[in-house]
Amino acid sequence: MEKISHFFKSFLLVELLKGMAVTGKHLFSHKITVQYPEEKTPQSFRFRGLHAQRRYASGEERCIGCKLCEAVCPALAIKIEVAEREDGSRRTTQYDINLTKCIFCGFCEESCPVDAIVETRIFEYHGESQKDLYYTKPMLLAVGDKHEAQIAKDRAADAKYR
Amino acid sequence: MINIEIDGKQIAAVPGSTLIEAAHDAGISIPHFCYHKKLSIAANCRMCLVQVEKAPKPLPACATPVAEGMKVFTASEQAVKAQKGVMEFLLVNHPLDCPICDQGGECMLQDMSVGYGGVQSRYHEEKRTVLSKDLGPLVSAEEMSRCINCTRCVRFGVEIGGQMELGQAFRTEHAEIMTFVSGTVNSELSGNMIDLCPVGALTSKPFRYKARSWELSRRRTVSAHDGLGSNLAVQTKDNHVLRVLPIENEDINECWLSDKDRFAYEGLNSSERLTKPMIKQDGKWQEVEWQVALEYAANGLRHIANGAGAEQIGALATANSTLEELYLLQKLTRGIGSQNVDFRLRQSDFSGDGKQQGAPWLGMSIADISRADRLLIVGSFLRKDHPVLAARIRQAVKKGAQANIIHSADDDLLMNVENKSIVAPDALVEVLTQVLQALTAESAQNATGAAAAMARSLAGGKNVAVLLGNFAQQHPQAAQLQALAQQIAALSSGKFGFLGEAANSVGGYLAQATPGAKGMNAASMLATPRKAYVLLNVEAELDCANPQQAIAAMQAADLVVALSAYKHHATEYADVLLPIAPYTETSGTFVSCEGRVQSFKGAVKPLGEARPGWKVLRVLGNMLKLDGFDQDTSEAVRDAALKGVDVASKLNNAIGVVEVKAASATKDLQRVSDVPIYATDAIVRRSAPLQATTDAAAPQAWLHSEELHKLGLQAGATVKLSQGLGSVKLTAAADDKLPKGVVRVAAGHSVTAALGAMFGTISVERA
Repeated sequence: MEKISHFFKSFLLVELLKGMAVTGKHLFSHKITVQYPEEKTPQSFRFRGLHAQRRYASGEERCIGCKLCEAVCPALAIKIEVAEREDGSRRTTQYDINLTKCIFCGFCEESCPVDAIVETRIFEYHGESQKDLYYTKPMLLAVGDKHEAQIAKDRAADAKYR
Repeated sequence: MINIEIDGKQIAAVPGSTLIEAAHDAGISIPHFCYHKKLSIAANCRMCLVQVEKAPKPLPACATPVAEGMKVFTASEQAVKAQKGVMEFLLVNHPLDCPICDQGGECMLQDMSVGYGGVQSRYHEEKRTVLSKDLGPLVSAEEMSRCINCTRCVRFGVEIGGQMELGQAFRTEHAEIMTFVSGTVNSELSGNMIDLCPVGALTSKPFRYKARSWELSRRRTVSAHDGLGSNLAVQTKDNHVLRVLPIENEDINECWLSDKDRFAYEGLNSSERLTKPMIKQDGKWQEVEWQVALEYAANGLRHIANGAGAEQIGALATANSTLEELYLLQKLTRGIGSQNVDFRLRQSDFSGDGKQQGAPWLGMSIADISRADRLLIVGSFLRKDHPVLAARIRQAVKKGAQANIIHSADDDLLMNVENKSIVAPDALVEVLTQVLQALTAESAQNATGAAAAMARSLAGGKNVAVLLGNFAQQHPQAAQLQALAQQIAALSSGKFGFLGEAANSVGGYLAQATPGAKGMNAASMLATPRKAYVLLNVEAELDCANPQQAIAAMQAADLVVALSAYKHHATEYADVLLPIAPYTETSGTFVSCEGRVQSFKGAVKPLGEARPGWKVLRVLGNMLKLDGFDQDTSEAVRDAALKGVDVASKLNNAIGVVEVKAASATKDLQRVSDVPIYATDAIVRRSAPLQATTDAAAPQAWLHSEELHKLGLQAGATVKLSQGLGSVKLTAAADDKLPKGVVRVAAGHSVTAALGAMFGTISVERA
């Protein structure tokens, strides 16, 4: 029985027609290829891209130097030094992320008790040497300052799942 | 033994012990905060609630004594429910600011809340706020809202420290820990409150925000300060010592540490550290390579040995140097041909040297002190010189031991003193003689007077300890005091010994860093100046019995080679400065007052170009082509010094016949000198937090108010104190507990370094 079925299938080119049907279907269906960089894929609000340090609305930096991100970082990409500021509060004097080490796991963001270190949607950044990808505290704060609106929106969207 | 059952495990518990002790001994952990094995039971945190069969409600394990047949469940539903409930209440008012809390990562409350805390708080009302307190430069009470009112710190102060500096005021949610009288915590043991605090309410001020607990590496070492040999955990990060904690050793420091041991590390990173070898050329200091500096020193020593003679070379070391350093220093000195080597810089009486049978030591183990029931403490600023040992004695006194004190100053020892005799330094021998006579004479039974009372006290004891303090050891009649103490101890069938000034006061003898019969001792080396000196860790004007003489000798010398971790006053008289590593940066050995040999390894790398002292001395020995300088490790040096030596047999306080004669009476004022607690050695002197304490206040001239009156002075007036050629101006202060005829002036302090010997006459006049 199987042999007869096989004979007719090969004789009538059923397989070929099936294949052509798939091709034909995609020829007329909605295109999903994205023409990067002119076009961009949609991003989740949980996208884990370039890091940023956030500030409160008052302009005060959020980071309190608890070093949990440094401790949790599996790639040992974060380096923090802490000292007491004149007003007695605990603040970082150094907060560096070596992006060449970073594996973008998002643990730092997850461990942060004050939502200070976050990963933004930015993934199109580059450096011409390793040095350029060594982000220091002012650089991270600058990223945060620039994209605070988007960052805040994303955190708000994620809040109900946390 | 009492048989109980905890969590189904049959346990034989000591009668009178509590459930928590029995459980911990059996390896069953019960959560707790206020319970501490060394403190009294408060049972106020309620965390240790456990279910006991037939008891209607959960019972606190820390306050429930064991009873025969008791069945205890530490993790039953009822117990855990109670524990979780307690935890919820404890967290109601806790700020939960773990991310900025220095205790974070090593916090009992944090750890326990993982096991017993809820996921979310059900408390949404306002939390209480407790204002921060300023407790002084060592203990930070910035965040008292974190306090869970366990009162461990309060109980520590009362029970171990001997004074209630902290207390709990107010009730219910207004309850807070605060100082009552002084405003700051001035105890010399205050740092232990930081260890005891189960939360982050009391933290270390110098360590504030320096590091998180998980970043620190822990290295085991031994205290380089007092002679107790406290076991330390030095915690380091990035090659810096950031914190020092005690390592529990029941036979030595129990679980305590004096503030000196705990906070002296701040002096290690002082800006005064010497990091490059230096030589003085044409009156100017130049940084040079090691090779140049060592050759300069070796050539200089060789030149003097060949020219003026080897006996013109003297070597002085402090007793804070390691055994290895002291051993190689004496080998070096003897190798050159000089016998002049000594480490007993503050001693003034060397008449016992030929008669001393062995190395003077505590005469008993440290733990024996806890078992003593009668103590005679002669010439000791006990609390400041030996803080942890004083706490041990305090415990013994609490258990019923009688403390008898013979001294020239009457500082509050914070313990019951049975009898005391506070006399001028020249009368110490007389008082001891009276005690001795009272012990021998039958008629003394009913005699009155302090000496007779002391004799009665000692005669009634089973475990008598006669202890000679630093003051007695530095006394100009030290040998007589020792001989008298020996006889008193023998008559009361007790032990006698020396409390010991520094970490290696016993080790120095074992390293043979004493002059022997032919050499000159520390005092005579300075009294008859030598042409060359080798100084090991010595700050001549601060570490010697007679700073005037020491400085004069140094300045007159042709060559002074100073091995030091610091760039200090030696720049004015030395010719070569060789940077050596302090105890955290070198391996070495200290022999504690009880003769315990404790070796340790370096915790961090030496700063800059500093090198371990034993290596420097070894290379100097090689350059001078001396034998016996081929060790590769400090262990090899230690073995060279101690291998095959039965340390216990070397320790002997016995002294031969010493002629006891009272000092000739003087009408002049006598000097009574203490070396202030935070002026004892080079590291401590440079620890900023310790120097900010009240114990490190500027020295004053303390006199009995009648003496002040006689001089026509008033407390607060500026007076001029003169000894020999030097004089200093200090503020006069009245202390009616001092004997008449004495002035108490601190030694070992830069302010009083222009004065002469620590003992003897001194003149006081209006400035």
